[in-house]
Amino acid sequence: MRDELRIRIVDMITKAGEGHIPSSFSIVDIIDTLYSKFLKFDKNDPKWPGRDYFVLSKGHGCAALFVVLEKHGLLDRSDIDKYGTHAGILGGHPDRTKVPGVEASTGSLGHGLPFALGLALGQKIQSKSNKVIVLVGDGECHEGTVWEAALVAQNLDLRNICCVVDYNGSAAQILPHPNIQAQWEAFGWTAVSIDGHNRDEIEAAFASFYAGENRKPFAIIARNVKGRGVSFLETHGPWHHKIPGAHEYAAIIAELSK
Amino acid sequence: MRNTFASTMLEVGRCDPKLVVLVADISHFALQPFAVESPGRFYNVGILEPCMVSMSAGLAAAGLYPVTHTIAPFLIERSLEQIKLDFCYQALGGTLVSVGSAFDYSRLGCSHHCYNDMGLLNGLPNTQIAYPASPLEFRRLFTETYRNDKLTYFRLPEAQHGVTFADGDIQVGKGILLCEGSDVTIIGAGPSLRTVMESLPNLATCGLSAEVIYLPMLKPFDADIVRTSVAKTGRVIVIEEHSRVGGYGDEVLHATAGRSDFRYDFVQIPDEFQRGYGDYKEHLATLGFTPDNLVRRAVALCQGK
Repeated sequence: MRDELRIRIVDMITKAGEGHIPSSFSIVDIIDTLYSKFLKFDKNDPKWPGRDYFVLSKGHGCAALFVVLEKHGLLDRSDIDKYGTHAGILGGHPDRTKVPGVEASTGSLGHGLPFALGLALGQKIQSKSNKVIVLVGDGECHEGTVWEAALVAQNLDLRNICCVVDYNGSAAQILPHPNIQAQWEAFGWTAVSIDGHNRDEIEAAFASFYAGENRKPFAIIARNVKGRGVSFLETHGPWHHKIPGAHEYAAIIAELSK
Repeated sequence: MRNTFASTMLEVGRCDPKLVVLVADISHFALQPFAVESPGRFYNVGILEPCMVSMSAGLAAAGLYPVTHTIAPFLIERSLEQIKLDFCYQALGGTLVSVGSAFDYSRLGCSHHCYNDMGLLNGLPNTQIAYPASPLEFRRLFTETYRNDKLTYFRLPEAQHGVTFADGDIQVGKGILLCEGSDVTIIGAGPSLRTVMESLPNLATCGLSAEVIYLPMLKPFDADIVRTSVAKTGRVIVIEEHSRVGGYGDEVLHATAGRSDFRYDFVQIPDEFQRGYGDYKEHLATLGFTPDNLVRRAVALCQGK
Protein backbone atom coordinates (compact mmCIF):
# COMPACT_ATOMS: atom_id res chain seq x y z
CA MET A 1 0.00 0.00 0.00
CA ARG A 2 1.36 3.40 -0.94
CA ASP A 3 2.42 5.40 2.10
CA GLU A 4 0.98 8.70 0.93
CA LEU A 5 2.12 10.83 3.88
CA ARG A 6 5.75 9.69 3.66
CA ILE A 7 5.74 10.13 -0.12
CA ARG A 8 4.39 13.64 0.35
CA ILE A 9 7.20 14.36 2.83
CA VAL A 10 9.85 13.13 0.42
CA ASP A 11 8.34 15.05 -2.47
CA MET A 12 8.26 18.38 -0.66
CA ILE A 13 11.73 18.05 0.82
CA THR A 14 13.31 16.85 -2.42
CA LYS A 15 11.71 19.66 -4.40
CA ALA A 16 12.78 22.32 -1.93
CA GLY A 17 16.22 20.89 -1.24
CA GLU A 18 15.67 21.32 2.49
CA GLY A 19 14.34 19.18 5.30
CA HIS A 20 14.86 16.22 7.60
CA ILE A 21 13.31 13.11 6.05
CA PRO A 22 14.23 10.44 8.66
CA SER A 23 13.19 12.66 11.59
CA SER A 24 9.84 13.28 9.91
CA PHE A 25 9.31 9.59 9.13
CA SER A 26 9.95 8.84 12.80
CA ILE A 27 6.96 10.85 14.02
CA VAL A 28 4.46 11.01 11.17
CA ASP A 29 2.40 8.02 12.34
CA ILE A 30 1.95 9.55 15.78
CA ILE A 31 1.01 13.01 14.50
CA ASP A 32 -1.45 11.64 11.96
CA THR A 33 -3.11 9.40 14.55
CA LEU A 34 -3.40 12.35 16.93
CA TYR A 35 -5.08 14.58 14.32
CA SER A 36 -7.23 11.75 12.94
CA LYS A 37 -8.60 10.41 16.21
CA PHE A 38 -8.10 12.74 19.14
CA LEU A 39 -7.07 16.37 18.66
CA LYS A 40 -9.96 18.86 18.65
CA PHE A 41 -9.58 21.46 15.92
CA ASP A 42 -11.61 23.36 13.36
CA LYS A 43 -9.96 23.38 9.95
CA ASN A 44 -11.92 26.51 9.04
CA ASP A 45 -10.95 28.33 12.23
CA PRO A 46 -7.42 27.38 13.34
CA LYS A 47 -7.66 29.71 16.35
CA TRP A 48 -10.97 28.20 17.55
CA PRO A 49 -10.94 28.69 21.33
CA GLY A 50 -12.13 25.14 21.94
CA ARG A 51 -9.20 23.52 20.19
CA ASP A 52 -6.55 21.29 21.68
CA TYR A 53 -2.95 22.39 21.25
CA PHE A 54 -0.23 20.38 19.54
CA VAL A 55 3.33 21.67 19.95
CA LEU A 56 6.02 20.06 17.81
CA SER A 57 9.04 20.79 19.96
CA LYS A 58 11.52 18.99 17.69
CA GLY A 59 10.77 21.50 14.96
CA HIS A 60 13.12 19.99 12.40
CA GLY A 61 10.58 17.18 11.92
CA CYS A 62 8.00 19.69 10.73
CA ALA A 63 7.53 18.15 7.29
CA ALA A 64 5.55 15.43 9.08
CA LEU A 65 3.35 18.06 10.71
CA PHE A 66 2.84 19.98 7.48
CA VAL A 67 1.65 16.96 5.47
CA VAL A 68 -0.73 16.02 8.29
CA LEU A 69 -2.07 19.59 8.42
CA GLU A 70 -2.63 19.37 4.66
CA LYS A 71 -4.38 16.02 4.99
CA HIS A 72 -6.73 17.43 7.62
CA GLY A 73 -7.52 20.64 5.76
CA LEU A 74 -5.51 23.20 7.72
CA LEU A 75 -3.05 23.71 4.87
CA ASP A 76 -3.65 23.81 1.13
CA ARG A 77 -1.77 21.96 -1.56
CA SER A 78 -0.36 25.28 -2.71
CA ASP A 79 1.17 25.81 0.73
CA ILE A 80 3.01 22.50 0.49
CA ASP A 81 4.06 23.23 -3.07
CA LYS A 82 5.74 26.43 -1.89
CA TYR A 83 7.56 24.75 1.02
CA GLY A 84 11.02 26.21 1.45
CA THR A 85 10.45 29.09 -0.94
CA HIS A 86 10.75 32.75 -0.05
CA ALA A 87 7.12 33.36 -0.99
CA GLY A 88 5.75 30.43 1.00
CA ILE A 89 4.71 30.11 4.63
CA LEU A 90 6.45 26.79 5.27
CA GLY A 91 10.12 26.27 5.96
CA GLY A 92 12.55 24.00 7.73
CA HIS A 93 11.05 24.85 11.12
CA PRO A 94 7.43 25.77 11.92
CA ASP A 95 6.38 29.39 12.44
CA ARG A 96 3.21 30.04 14.46
CA THR A 97 2.89 33.57 13.07
CA LYS A 98 2.45 32.23 9.54
CA VAL A 99 1.17 28.67 9.54
CA PRO A 100 -2.46 27.83 10.37
CA GLY A 101 -2.54 25.10 12.98
CA VAL A 102 1.01 25.64 14.24
CA GLU A 103 0.88 26.56 17.92
CA ALA A 104 4.58 27.23 18.57
CA SER A 105 7.56 28.33 16.53
CA THR A 106 10.24 25.81 17.34
CA GLY A 107 13.67 24.82 16.13
CA SER A 108 16.03 25.36 19.03
CA LEU A 109 15.54 22.28 21.17
CA GLY A 110 14.28 22.44 24.73
CA HIS A 111 11.69 25.19 24.23
CA GLY A 112 8.55 23.28 23.35
CA LEU A 113 7.82 21.50 26.62
CA PRO A 114 8.09 24.57 28.88
CA PHE A 115 6.09 26.58 26.32
CA ALA A 116 3.45 23.84 26.29
CA LEU A 117 3.47 23.92 30.07
CA GLY A 118 2.46 27.57 29.89
CA LEU A 119 -0.34 26.67 27.49
CA ALA A 120 -1.52 23.92 29.86
CA LEU A 121 -1.31 26.15 32.92
CA GLY A 122 -3.21 28.81 30.98
CA GLN A 123 -6.07 26.36 30.37
CA LYS A 124 -6.12 25.43 34.03
CA ILE A 125 -6.14 29.05 35.20
CA GLN A 126 -9.08 29.79 32.89
CA SER A 127 -10.90 26.57 33.87
CA LYS A 128 -10.79 25.31 30.30
CA SER A 129 -10.73 21.64 29.35
CA ASN A 130 -8.50 22.01 26.27
CA LYS A 131 -5.69 19.46 26.10
CA VAL A 132 -2.05 20.17 25.29
CA ILE A 133 0.09 17.60 23.50
CA VAL A 134 3.80 18.22 22.92
CA LEU A 135 6.26 16.05 21.03
CA VAL A 136 9.97 16.13 21.97
CA GLY A 137 12.95 14.22 20.64
CA ASP A 138 15.00 11.87 22.77
CA GLY A 139 18.13 13.83 21.88
CA GLU A 140 16.20 16.92 22.89
CA CYS A 141 15.85 15.32 26.31
CA HIS A 142 19.50 16.20 26.87
CA GLU A 143 18.37 19.81 27.30
CA GLY A 144 18.00 20.89 30.91
CA THR A 145 14.83 22.87 30.25
CA VAL A 146 13.01 19.62 29.42
CA TRP A 147 13.61 18.36 32.95
CA GLU A 148 12.97 21.76 34.52
CA ALA A 149 9.57 21.67 32.85
CA ALA A 150 8.97 18.02 33.74
CA LEU A 151 9.50 18.84 37.40
CA VAL A 152 7.25 21.90 37.27
CA ALA A 153 4.42 20.02 35.53
CA GLN A 154 3.99 17.55 38.36
CA ASN A 155 4.41 20.25 40.99
CA LEU A 156 1.60 22.28 39.39
CA ASP A 157 -0.51 19.12 39.08
CA LEU A 158 -1.02 19.60 35.35
CA ARG A 159 -3.09 16.68 34.13
CA ASN A 160 -4.04 18.27 30.82
CA ILE A 161 -0.59 17.87 29.24
CA CYS A 162 0.79 14.90 27.35
CA CYS A 163 4.42 14.72 26.28
CA VAL A 164 5.32 12.31 23.51
CA VAL A 165 9.00 11.35 23.46
CA ASP A 166 10.24 10.37 20.01
CA TYR A 167 12.53 7.68 21.39
CA ASN A 168 14.29 6.80 18.14
CA GLY A 169 17.80 6.34 19.43
CA SER A 170 19.22 9.73 18.47
CA ALA A 171 20.35 10.33 22.02
CA ALA A 172 21.96 6.91 22.28
CA GLN A 173 24.61 7.85 19.74
CA ILE A 174 25.92 10.56 22.04
CA LEU A 175 24.57 10.47 25.56
CA PRO A 176 22.18 7.57 26.16
CA HIS A 177 19.25 7.75 28.55
CA PRO A 178 19.71 4.70 30.79
CA ASN A 179 15.97 4.23 31.31
CA ILE A 180 13.93 7.02 29.86
CA GLN A 181 10.56 5.75 31.05
CA ALA A 182 11.87 5.56 34.60
CA GLN A 183 13.26 9.10 34.24
CA TRP A 184 9.82 10.50 33.45
CA GLU A 185 8.25 8.48 36.23
CA ALA A 186 10.89 9.73 38.63
CA PHE A 187 9.89 13.29 37.73
CA GLY A 188 6.32 12.53 38.75
CA TRP A 189 4.73 11.66 35.42
CA THR A 190 2.71 8.66 34.35
CA ALA A 191 4.75 7.14 31.54
CA VAL A 192 3.77 4.45 29.05
CA SER A 193 5.94 2.88 26.41
CA ILE A 194 4.62 2.04 22.93
CA ASP A 195 5.68 1.13 19.42
CA GLY A 196 5.33 4.56 17.81
CA HIS A 197 4.64 3.09 14.39
CA ASN A 198 1.81 0.83 15.51
CA ARG A 199 -1.43 2.74 15.14
CA ASP A 200 -3.27 0.55 17.63
CA GLU A 201 -0.70 1.19 20.31
CA ILE A 202 -0.61 4.93 19.53
CA GLU A 203 -4.40 5.06 19.80
CA ALA A 204 -4.41 3.20 23.08
CA ALA A 205 -1.87 5.59 24.60
CA PHE A 206 -3.69 8.75 23.50
CA ALA A 207 -6.99 7.22 24.58
CA SER A 208 -5.58 6.72 28.04
CA PHE A 209 -4.48 10.36 28.20
CA TYR A 210 -7.77 11.70 26.83
CA ALA A 211 -9.76 9.56 29.25
CA GLY A 212 -8.31 11.72 31.99
CA GLU A 213 -7.97 8.85 34.41
CA ASN A 214 -4.35 9.59 35.26
CA ARG A 215 -3.74 11.92 38.15
CA LYS A 216 -0.38 13.05 36.80
CA PRO A 217 1.03 14.61 33.64
CA PHE A 218 1.23 11.93 30.98
CA ALA A 219 4.28 10.85 28.97
CA ILE A 220 4.27 8.51 26.00
CA ILE A 221 7.64 6.97 25.25
CA ALA A 222 7.36 6.13 21.57
CA ARG A 223 9.91 3.55 20.51
CA ASN A 224 10.38 4.83 16.98
CA VAL A 225 12.73 4.17 14.12
CA LYS A 226 14.34 7.16 12.51
CA GLY A 227 13.63 6.93 8.79
CA ARG A 228 10.99 4.24 9.29
CA GLY A 229 9.50 3.07 6.01
CA VAL A 230 12.57 3.07 3.76
CA SER A 231 15.29 0.54 4.47
CA PHE A 232 18.31 2.62 3.61
CA LEU A 233 17.06 5.72 5.43
CA GLU A 234 16.61 3.93 8.73
CA THR A 235 18.69 4.59 11.84
CA HIS A 236 21.45 7.14 12.08
CA GLY A 237 23.49 7.26 8.95
CA PRO A 238 24.14 10.20 6.66
CA TRP A 239 20.48 10.79 5.84
CA HIS A 240 19.62 13.02 8.81
CA HIS A 241 19.67 16.19 6.69
CA LYS A 242 20.39 14.75 3.24
CA ILE A 243 18.39 15.47 0.09
CA PRO A 244 17.83 12.55 -2.28
CA GLY A 245 19.27 12.59 -5.77
CA ALA A 246 17.21 11.33 -8.72
CA HIS A 247 18.13 7.65 -8.31
CA GLU A 248 17.75 7.78 -4.54
CA TYR A 249 14.39 9.47 -4.88
CA ALA A 250 13.19 6.73 -7.21
CA ALA A 251 14.36 4.06 -4.77
CA ILE A 252 12.59 5.76 -1.86
CA ILE A 253 9.32 6.06 -3.75
CA ALA A 254 9.58 2.45 -4.84
CA GLU A 255 9.87 1.26 -1.24
CA LEU A 256 7.03 3.50 -0.09
CA SER A 257 4.78 2.24 -2.90
CA LYS A 258 5.00 -1.47 -2.08
CA MET B 1 10.55 50.01 43.49
CA ARG B 2 10.04 46.36 44.38
CA ASN B 3 7.19 47.33 46.70
CA THR B 4 5.71 49.47 43.96
CA PHE B 5 5.85 46.47 41.66
CA ALA B 6 4.08 44.32 44.25
CA SER B 7 1.38 46.89 44.99
CA THR B 8 0.79 47.46 41.27
CA MET B 9 0.27 43.74 40.72
CA LEU B 10 -2.25 43.78 43.56
CA GLU B 11 -4.14 46.75 42.12
CA VAL B 12 -4.15 45.61 38.49
CA GLY B 13 -4.84 42.00 39.50
CA ARG B 14 -8.03 43.07 41.27
CA CYS B 15 -9.43 44.42 38.00
CA ASP B 16 -7.91 42.07 35.45
CA PRO B 17 -8.35 38.30 35.87
CA LYS B 18 -5.92 37.68 33.04
CA LEU B 19 -2.91 39.01 34.94
CA VAL B 20 -0.62 36.14 36.00
CA VAL B 21 2.67 36.59 37.88
CA LEU B 22 5.55 34.11 37.79
CA VAL B 23 8.68 34.44 39.93
CA ALA B 24 11.79 32.33 40.40
CA ASP B 25 12.05 32.50 44.16
CA ILE B 26 12.51 36.28 44.21
CA SER B 27 10.06 38.78 45.78
CA HIS B 28 7.60 36.04 46.71
CA PHE B 29 7.02 37.56 50.14
CA ALA B 30 6.40 41.02 48.70
CA LEU B 31 3.90 39.53 46.25
CA GLN B 32 1.86 37.63 48.84
CA PRO B 33 -0.96 40.22 48.90
CA PHE B 34 -1.42 39.65 45.16
CA ALA B 35 -1.20 35.88 45.67
CA VAL B 36 -3.89 36.00 48.35
CA GLU B 37 -6.27 38.25 46.44
CA SER B 38 -5.71 36.55 43.09
CA PRO B 39 -5.63 32.83 43.88
CA GLY B 40 -4.27 30.63 41.12
CA ARG B 41 -2.52 33.53 39.42
CA PHE B 42 0.77 33.69 41.34
CA TYR B 43 3.43 31.04 40.87
CA ASN B 44 6.80 30.78 42.57
CA VAL B 45 7.79 28.37 39.84
CA GLY B 46 11.20 27.29 41.05
CA ILE B 47 14.80 28.24 40.39
CA LEU B 48 14.63 27.59 36.65
CA GLU B 49 14.54 30.91 34.87
CA PRO B 50 14.69 29.78 31.20
CA CYS B 51 11.81 27.37 31.82
CA MET B 52 9.86 30.13 33.54
CA VAL B 53 10.29 32.49 30.58
CA SER B 54 9.11 29.83 28.10
CA MET B 55 6.16 29.05 30.35
CA SER B 56 5.25 32.72 30.40
CA ALA B 57 5.24 32.80 26.61
CA GLY B 58 2.92 29.81 26.67
CA LEU B 59 0.62 31.64 29.05
CA ALA B 60 0.57 34.55 26.60
CA ALA B 61 -0.29 32.14 23.78
CA ALA B 62 -3.18 30.93 25.96
CA GLY B 63 -4.56 34.48 26.07
CA LEU B 64 -3.27 35.61 29.47
CA TYR B 65 -1.05 38.56 30.48
CA PRO B 66 2.06 37.08 32.10
CA VAL B 67 4.44 39.07 34.28
CA THR B 68 7.75 37.31 34.82
CA HIS B 69 10.06 38.43 37.57
CA THR B 70 13.43 37.65 39.04
CA ILE B 71 16.82 39.33 39.25
CA ALA B 72 18.25 40.77 36.06
CA PRO B 73 21.19 38.47 35.23
CA PHE B 74 19.04 35.35 35.46
CA LEU B 75 15.96 36.85 33.85
CA ILE B 76 17.75 38.41 30.90
CA GLU B 77 21.25 37.00 30.36
CA ARG B 78 20.51 33.40 31.38
CA SER B 79 17.16 33.30 29.59
CA LEU B 80 17.99 35.31 26.48
CA GLU B 81 17.22 32.61 23.92
CA GLN B 82 13.84 31.93 25.56
CA ILE B 83 13.09 35.65 25.39
CA LYS B 84 14.20 35.85 21.77
CA LEU B 85 12.43 32.76 20.42
CA ASP B 86 9.44 32.20 22.68
CA PHE B 87 8.31 35.81 23.05
CA CYS B 88 9.89 38.00 20.36
CA TYR B 89 10.00 35.63 17.38
CA GLN B 90 6.50 34.37 18.14
CA ALA B 91 5.16 37.94 18.42
CA LEU B 92 3.76 37.30 21.90
CA GLY B 93 3.22 40.09 24.38
CA GLY B 94 4.22 39.95 28.01
CA THR B 95 6.11 41.73 30.75
CA LEU B 96 9.52 41.06 32.26
CA VAL B 97 10.33 42.82 35.53
CA SER B 98 13.78 42.71 37.07
CA VAL B 99 15.46 43.91 40.19
CA GLY B 100 19.20 43.68 40.72
CA SER B 101 20.38 45.18 37.44
CA ALA B 102 23.72 46.97 37.05
CA PHE B 103 25.53 46.61 40.41
CA ASP B 104 22.52 46.98 42.70
CA TYR B 105 23.56 43.75 44.45
CA SER B 106 26.86 45.48 45.05
CA ARG B 107 28.30 43.11 47.62
CA LEU B 108 27.42 39.88 45.83
CA GLY B 109 29.96 40.03 43.04
CA CYS B 110 29.65 39.76 39.30
CA SER B 111 27.40 36.68 39.20
CA HIS B 112 24.68 38.99 40.53
CA HIS B 113 25.57 42.05 38.46
CA CYS B 114 23.97 42.81 35.11
CA TYR B 115 25.36 45.62 32.99
CA ASN B 116 24.01 44.64 29.56
CA ASP B 117 20.36 43.77 30.10
CA MET B 118 18.87 46.73 28.26
CA GLY B 119 21.34 46.43 25.39
CA LEU B 120 20.57 42.74 24.92
CA LEU B 121 16.83 43.38 24.73
CA ASN B 122 17.28 46.51 22.63
CA GLY B 123 18.69 44.26 19.91
CA LEU B 124 15.60 42.03 19.82
CA PRO B 125 12.59 42.91 17.65
CA ASN B 126 9.16 43.34 19.27
CA THR B 127 10.53 44.58 22.60
CA GLN B 128 9.92 47.68 24.70
CA ILE B 129 12.27 48.76 27.49
CA ALA B 130 11.37 50.90 30.48
CA TYR B 131 13.76 52.10 33.18
CA PRO B 132 11.49 53.71 35.76
CA ALA B 133 13.06 55.13 38.90
CA SER B 134 9.95 56.43 40.62
CA PRO B 135 6.71 54.65 41.58
CA LEU B 136 4.51 56.75 39.31
CA GLU B 137 6.57 55.84 36.26
CA PHE B 138 6.23 52.12 36.87
CA ARG B 139 2.53 52.23 37.60
CA ARG B 140 1.78 54.38 34.59
CA LEU B 141 3.96 52.54 32.08
CA PHE B 142 2.97 49.07 33.29
CA THR B 143 -0.71 49.91 33.01
CA GLU B 144 -0.15 51.22 29.49
CA THR B 145 1.88 48.29 28.21
CA TYR B 146 1.05 44.99 29.92
CA ARG B 147 -1.79 44.12 27.55
CA ASN B 148 -0.14 45.11 24.28
CA ASP B 149 1.50 42.73 21.81
CA LYS B 150 5.09 43.65 22.72
CA LEU B 151 7.42 42.14 25.27
CA THR B 152 8.05 44.97 27.71
CA TYR B 153 11.03 44.89 30.05
CA PHE B 154 10.97 46.92 33.26
CA ARG B 155 14.40 47.43 34.79
CA LEU B 156 13.61 48.36 38.39
CA PRO B 157 16.54 50.00 40.16
CA GLU B 158 17.06 49.83 43.89
CA ALA B 159 17.55 53.62 44.09
CA GLN B 160 15.03 56.23 43.00
CA HIS B 161 15.86 59.57 41.42
CA GLY B 162 13.68 61.62 43.77
CA VAL B 163 12.10 63.78 41.08
CA THR B 164 8.32 64.15 41.19
CA PHE B 165 6.39 64.02 37.93
CA ALA B 166 2.79 64.81 37.07
CA ASP B 167 0.76 61.83 35.91
CA GLY B 168 0.49 63.22 32.39
CA ASP B 169 4.28 63.54 32.06
CA ILE B 170 4.74 59.81 31.81
CA GLN B 171 3.88 58.41 28.40
CA VAL B 172 5.08 55.41 26.43
CA GLY B 173 8.07 56.38 24.30
CA LYS B 174 8.13 60.00 25.42
CA GLY B 175 10.96 61.89 27.09
CA ILE B 176 10.57 64.77 29.52
CA LEU B 177 12.33 68.12 29.30
CA LEU B 178 13.05 68.87 32.95
CA CYS B 179 15.24 71.91 32.70
CA GLU B 180 15.95 74.21 29.76
CA GLY B 181 19.52 75.28 29.04
CA SER B 182 21.78 76.38 26.23
CA ASP B 183 25.29 74.96 26.74
CA VAL B 184 24.97 71.25 27.24
CA THR B 185 22.25 68.59 27.15
CA ILE B 186 22.43 66.10 29.99
CA ILE B 187 20.46 62.87 29.84
CA GLY B 188 20.20 60.96 33.10
CA ALA B 189 18.78 57.44 32.92
CA GLY B 190 16.92 55.88 35.84
CA PRO B 191 18.41 56.76 39.24
CA SER B 192 21.22 58.73 37.55
CA LEU B 193 18.73 61.55 37.15
CA ARG B 194 19.36 62.31 40.83
CA THR B 195 23.07 62.78 40.06
CA VAL B 196 22.16 65.12 37.22
CA MET B 197 19.85 67.22 39.38
CA GLU B 198 22.45 67.44 42.16
CA SER B 199 25.06 68.65 39.68
CA LEU B 200 23.02 71.62 38.48
CA PRO B 201 24.08 74.16 41.14
CA ASN B 202 27.78 73.53 40.51
CA LEU B 203 27.26 73.61 36.77
CA ALA B 204 25.67 77.02 37.16
CA THR B 205 28.58 78.13 39.33
CA CYS B 206 30.87 77.07 36.49
CA GLY B 207 28.85 79.23 34.14
CA LEU B 208 27.18 76.39 32.29
CA SER B 209 23.52 76.34 31.39
CA ALA B 210 22.43 72.69 31.32
CA GLU B 211 19.35 71.31 29.59
CA VAL B 212 18.13 68.17 31.36
CA ILE B 213 16.20 65.42 29.62
CA TYR B 214 14.76 62.31 31.26
CA LEU B 215 13.64 59.29 29.26
CA PRO B 216 11.64 56.71 31.26
CA MET B 217 11.80 54.38 28.26
CA LEU B 218 14.81 53.36 26.21
CA LYS B 219 12.61 51.69 23.59
CA PRO B 220 10.69 53.24 21.95
CA PHE B 221 13.30 55.97 22.16
CA ASP B 222 12.19 59.58 21.96
CA ALA B 223 14.73 60.66 19.35
CA ASP B 224 12.92 63.91 18.63
CA ILE B 225 13.41 65.40 22.07
CA VAL B 226 17.12 64.55 21.91
CA ARG B 227 17.61 65.95 18.40
CA THR B 228 15.83 69.17 19.27
CA SER B 229 17.93 69.69 22.37
CA VAL B 230 21.25 68.83 20.78
CA ALA B 231 20.51 71.15 17.87
CA LYS B 232 20.31 73.92 20.45
CA THR B 233 23.20 73.04 22.78
CA GLY B 234 25.65 71.26 20.46
CA ARG B 235 26.81 69.07 23.36
CA VAL B 236 25.36 66.07 25.13
CA ILE B 237 26.34 63.94 28.10
CA VAL B 238 24.59 60.65 28.87
CA ILE B 239 24.86 59.14 32.34
CA GLU B 240 23.50 55.61 32.75
CA GLU B 241 24.25 52.66 35.00
CA HIS B 242 24.61 50.40 31.97
CA SER B 243 27.35 49.14 29.71
CA ARG B 244 28.53 51.07 26.68
CA VAL B 245 26.55 48.83 24.33
CA GLY B 246 22.93 49.23 23.41
CA GLY B 247 21.80 51.64 26.08
CA TYR B 248 20.93 55.33 26.13
CA GLY B 249 24.35 56.40 24.84
CA ASP B 250 24.02 54.36 21.67
CA GLU B 251 20.47 55.60 21.12
CA VAL B 252 21.64 59.21 21.40
CA LEU B 253 24.28 58.56 18.75
CA HIS B 254 21.71 56.96 16.47
CA ALA B 255 19.31 59.85 17.05
CA THR B 256 21.95 62.39 16.11
CA ALA B 257 23.57 60.43 13.27
CA GLY B 258 24.57 62.69 10.42
CA ARG B 259 25.38 65.68 12.62
CA SER B 260 29.02 66.71 12.68
CA ASP B 261 28.57 69.84 14.73
CA PHE B 262 28.17 68.46 18.23
CA ARG B 263 30.30 66.91 20.95
CA TYR B 264 29.35 64.12 23.30
CA ASP B 265 30.51 62.21 26.35
CA PHE B 266 29.20 59.26 28.32
CA VAL B 267 29.30 58.18 31.95
CA GLN B 268 28.67 54.43 31.76
CA ILE B 269 29.82 51.14 33.20
CA PRO B 270 33.15 50.39 31.52
CA ASP B 271 33.83 47.23 29.55
CA GLU B 272 35.12 45.25 32.52
CA PHE B 273 33.70 43.24 35.42
CA GLN B 274 33.24 45.26 38.58
CA ARG B 275 35.10 43.01 40.96
CA GLY B 276 34.95 45.28 43.98
CA TYR B 277 32.44 44.77 46.80
CA GLY B 278 31.11 47.44 49.13
CA ASP B 279 27.85 49.30 48.94
CA TYR B 280 26.05 50.82 45.98
CA LYS B 281 27.36 54.31 46.65
CA GLU B 282 30.93 53.07 46.67
CA HIS B 283 30.39 51.61 43.22
CA LEU B 284 28.90 54.91 42.08
CA ALA B 285 31.93 56.78 43.37
CA THR B 286 34.40 54.33 41.84
CA LEU B 287 32.80 54.54 38.41
CA GLY B 288 32.20 58.29 38.39
CA PHE B 289 28.45 58.33 38.81
CA THR B 290 28.75 61.44 40.97
CA PRO B 291 27.77 65.10 40.63
CA ASP B 292 31.42 66.18 40.83
CA ASN B 293 32.47 63.92 37.97
CA LEU B 294 29.50 65.00 35.91
CA VAL B 295 30.43 68.65 36.39
CA ARG B 296 34.05 67.96 35.44
CA ARG B 297 32.98 66.13 32.29
CA ALA B 298 30.55 68.90 31.34
CA VAL B 299 33.17 71.60 31.85
CA ALA B 300 35.66 69.64 29.73
CA LEU B 301 33.09 69.11 27.02
CA CYS B 302 32.24 72.77 26.92
CA GLN B 303 35.79 74.09 26.87
CA GLY B 304 36.33 76.39 23.94
CA LYS B 305 32.64 76.87 23.38
